Amino acid sequence: MDNDEQFFGRWVPSARPPLKPLVNREAIAQSRGAARCTRCGNWLTVTDQLPNGARYCRQCLQLGRLTTHHKLYTIPEPNQFPRMTESPLTWSGQLKPQQVVAATAVRKLAAAKKNQLLWAVTGAGKTEILYPALAWALQQGWRVAWASPRVDVCLELAPRLARAFAGVSQAVLHGKQEQPYTYRQLTICTTHQLLRFQAAFDWLIVDEVDAFPLTTSPMLQRAVKQAQKPSGSHIFLTATPGPHLQKLVAQRKIAVTYVPLRYHGYLLPQMMVHLSWQWRQHLLKGRLPGHLVRQLRGYQQIGQRFLLFVPHVADLAPIAAALAQAGVVGGVTVHAADPERTAKVQAMRDERCQFLVTTTILERGVTFPNVAVVILGGDEAVFSTAALVQIAGRAGRHAAHPRGEVTCYCQSQSRTIQQARAMIGHLNRQGRQQGGQ
Amino acid sequence: MPACVWCNRDIPQVVTLDQILSWGPFPVQEVCQACRERLTPITGSCCSRCGRQQRAATICHDCERWRDAVINRALFQYDAGFKAYMQQYKFQGDYALRVVVQATLARALQRATYDVLVPIPVDVATWQSRGFNQVTGWLTGQPFFQALEVVADHKERPQSAKTRAERLVTPQPFSLAPNACKVLQHQRVLLLDDVYTTGRTIRHAIDQINLSGAKAVTSLTLAR
Repeated sequence: MDNDEQFFGRWVPSARPPLKPLVNREAIAQSRGAARCTRCGNWLTVTDQLPNGARYCRQCLQLGRLTTHHKLYTIPEPNQFPRMTESPLTWSGQLKPQQVVAATAVRKLAAAKKNQLLWAVTGAGKTEILYPALAWALQQGWRVAWASPRVDVCLELAPRLARAFAGVSQAVLHGKQEQPYTYRQLTICTTHQLLRFQAAFDWLIVDEVDAFPLTTSPMLQRAVKQAQKPSGSHIFLTATPGPHLQKLVAQRKIAVTYVPLRYHGYLLPQMMVHLSWQWRQHLLKGRLPGHLVRQLRGYQQIGQRFLLFVPHVADLAPIAAALAQAGVVGGVTVHAADPERTAKVQAMRDERCQFLVTTTILERGVTFPNVAVVILGGDEAVFSTAALVQIAGRAGRHAAHPRGEVTCYCQSQSRTIQQARAMIGHLNRQGRQQGGQ
Repeated sequence: MPACVWCNRDIPQVVTLDQILSWGPFPVQEVCQACRERLTPITGSCCSRCGRQQRAATICHDCERWRDAVINRALFQYDAGFKAYMQQYKFQGDYALRVVVQATLARALQRATYDVLVPIPVDVATWQSRGFNQVTGWLTGQPFFQALEVVADHKERPQSAKTRAERLVTPQPFSLAPNACKVLQHQRVLLLDDVYTTGRTIRHAIDQINLSGAKAVTSLTLAR
């Protein structure tokens, strides 16, 4: 019986299939020479062949290789969970008035099994807004998954949810996980892990839907669709929905709940734009735009800490050198492959460091209490509209410092910058109606 | 635009005037520059026995402990990059990744002097689950001879999961193929393996090849 649990709502390539009534299918479906992986939906190329004659899928290799010799087994999700008589929510915090409004709306839509989008600004407290709805869903005996494209979000979320729902057993699934899979009512996982599931979840929460790689990967979007029960529903959480989601909202194909105010009740800081002509050519000579240098010196004089975002990893070293030349010192550079990345971010959090020069890796998921944000080269392709709004959202996140400055230096006002400013403006207009300032 | 087999990013194609004037097909790159740089080749001086990268061409600490005259050469350093490569190629079984090192190995084999190339075999169970022999997968048409066979049910767990002390006491896992003596008699044999870690496996193989009457045995591994 225990062995059977791992097959509930999941495709498992197993040498020991369970005896219970179960469904099986070939791992690689072949028809007329073409072969397709049934787990990730990828079409195999002719070269994906092993010397022993089997063909294998390269796309979902990280989840364990599937070949034409494998069969996948599943048992339809039975929702075998203990019934709860009272709410499993053990969180003692209080929701702010604007959060209560959103939380009630989310709960009602979830109860009606409607697909929905929670469009909440950065720092609105999305996780807490979902607590009442999640508590209600768990009480109904629903199986719920909280999926995110980014593993660091999962790792940060798991202990928070464990504290908020102390009585509910949870499973955390991601690629670097050592523990084996366990069947639990609440699953926290990366979107890649959803590929293993089949009609498993009554309610699927997808965090950061606009984050890489979910937006660009049809495989993961398919995984999200398949993991949800046909009778179930999903909720997407984001601060910056992409054009596709915005279109669905405009066409009223997805219900939307806005949270335009941050948890402390203030508006998002609008991004100021400064044109700086040919800053790259000047950087080659070791110079930064004069306005930028004066601004950063000003921050240093009043002890204001700041984040400086630059387009590429290769820009970090020359910009750091130019800053030192201009007398702006006391900070470090951070990029994705930096071995000391976590240590440097922690140093910034502990206020041991005056500023960080970084790339888009710090665009989301990091909170520093009181920082100003400066973007250099905001018109370059790496800064998408979503990235710019997320970066602007790093400022003013703390209740004691709800206002922050966001400045963008660019060669020209690109469409992405205009759209980012428009999105912030749109949310702030809604926020003002709700009494934000 | 072709994508890199390892990182799956697009490889920017640069066409030189030379290529246009050569009037032949353009060479298709399968691995991007960044991925090729993830593997560190062994250059300059190395240990004269095991081929480990070091400053002087002296005998390294490990080889002094062995007190024998095994000659091994390696192509890459066994660092984090090569471990990541082996993880995906051998342990996850991504056979397509064989192309990453094929060109380097082909050049090395061209330079080496030998008569018969003998790859280290995998046992039957591994062959069935993995679907390929990781060593022969790297060969691009070079003739080789499977002179060794793996004794059935010899290993309770893989060599890579053991400590050095445990690996050193591993019993002989190989036996000679039935026709090996005929083929290898008075030949110069080159053994080919994936990684030289303690040198235990390669010495077991050398011992068996020596029984076949080969004139000389040297070995080549992808990493040290």
